Amino acid sequence: MNDSWQENARIMLINAVPLLATILLMFLFYMPIHMSQTNFFRPTIGVICVYYWTIRKKDSFGYFAAFRVGFLTDIYSSSPLGTNVLMMMFFVFVLHRLSKLLYALSFCWSWVSFIFIGLAFILLKWLLLSLYHQSFLSLTEVLLNFISTVMFYPLIVSVNVWLQNKFLPQEGINE
Amino acid sequence: MKKNGAWLLKIGQLRAVLRRFFVVLLFVCAGMFFLLGKVNSPMVDKIDKAMISVTGPVMSVIEFPARIIHRIYTYFYDISHIYADNKILRAENHQLMVLQNKVRTLEVENQLLERLLNYVPPLEASFISAKIIAESGDNFTHMILVYIGDENVKRGQIVLGDESVIGRIDSVSGHYAKVILVTDINSKIPVVVERTRVRGILSGNNTAFPQMIFVRSNADVQEGDVIVTSGVGGMFPAGLPIGFVSSNKGGVISVETMADISRIEYVRIVDYGLTLDELPDSSTEVP
Repeated sequence: MNDSWQENARIMLINAVPLLATILLMFLFYMPIHMSQTNFFRPTIGVICVYYWTIRKKDSFGYFAAFRVGFLTDIYSSSPLGTNVLMMMFFVFVLHRLSKLLYALSFCWSWVSFIFIGLAFILLKWLLLSLYHQSFLSLTEVLLNFISTVMFYPLIVSVNVWLQNKFLPQEGINE
Repeated sequence: MKKNGAWLLKIGQLRAVLRRFFVVLLFVCAGMFFLLGKVNSPMVDKIDKAMISVTGPVMSVIEFPARIIHRIYTYFYDISHIYADNKILRAENHQLMVLQNKVRTLEVENQLLERLLNYVPPLEASFISAKIIAESGDNFTHMILVYIGDENVKRGQIVLGDESVIGRIDSVSGHYAKVILVTDINSKIPVVVERTRVRGILSGNNTAFPQMIFVRSNADVQEGDVIVTSGVGGMFPAGLPIGFVSSNKGGVISVETMADISRIEYVRIVDYGLTLDELPDSSTEVP
């Protein structure tokens, strides 16, 4: 009885690793750096993590996890509540449709595909927020933000790969 | 055995339907949040405040090592610039000595004139210092999260960094407050050009250079002019510096903020006695 309870708790914790890692990394990148103009080059970590975990651990990181990541992003970035939630869930919806194709890609091709899918995501979000504010937001800063996100992709993916190898080594551990 | 198999199949189908329903429900919830946020629903505000109260302490813990790293960086940066800084400070000191004598004379003259005119001095402002614990994670919004402790901070209060306005308090939740920066698209501040007294509204546009709008096309606004608050609308007192005119191209006036917001570690929240909470219900935006 006790063993099964512990086993269940262990599996639950292991399955929560992708979400916890995403939230922790997001918080780390919200940290104030106090250096000139760094705000404009702050990457959107949530998008990289959602992209990685949705493809690699579809069962541990689904719509509800994306909902929570989007919700926290909205709260901390002061975006209108619901914007990032909607966008993240739509992102997951698209990734679920493409997951079979994306799963088989090598790191470099995965990075390239992130550039295209991520760009579409950022532009869609820009459009949604422009509609919300009823005026076009500056696209230059948004693209700068996206470029820094793309540059940070290898680092964030490396952290996620390390976490996956450490805590979720077997495929389909939760299946 | 067959009966059991049929039951398991039905349970499996039910679970699949429920899962789909749950996903649809999540999408509906997200859409609802978005729409409720657009109509300024108090429910969305409450959720926002509750989440900040819950996650704020986590942010405070995470921010600690960043502060230490920043202090080490600043220490070495200051040491490397000590000679140049000293030279600048000597020159500044000389200028200030000259100005000090002028100010003394003007102060006496001002007091005499105030007495003659029965001038009522403006309210004394009180302020508190607050530590920045989080910055916005993307370029769609420009805000910071500050730790205010048990201090009584209200929505609408002015936030200063390096003696110039950097934003206003947007919401307070427990020990934390969200500050909307002057560069954010939601920020609108009545301002005036100090030199020519040309009035306008400083409107954030999510770039480092907010724009001064509603200015006459032939207005005398030149590069380098200082922009200060005009006091119109009653939310901000008059005369607080915000920035300089960085360019005026065909009536599009871009302003560079005086304070480098990215480098600020602590801010000052100033209370002039009037906050957004005390304004009539309709005014949710700063005029």
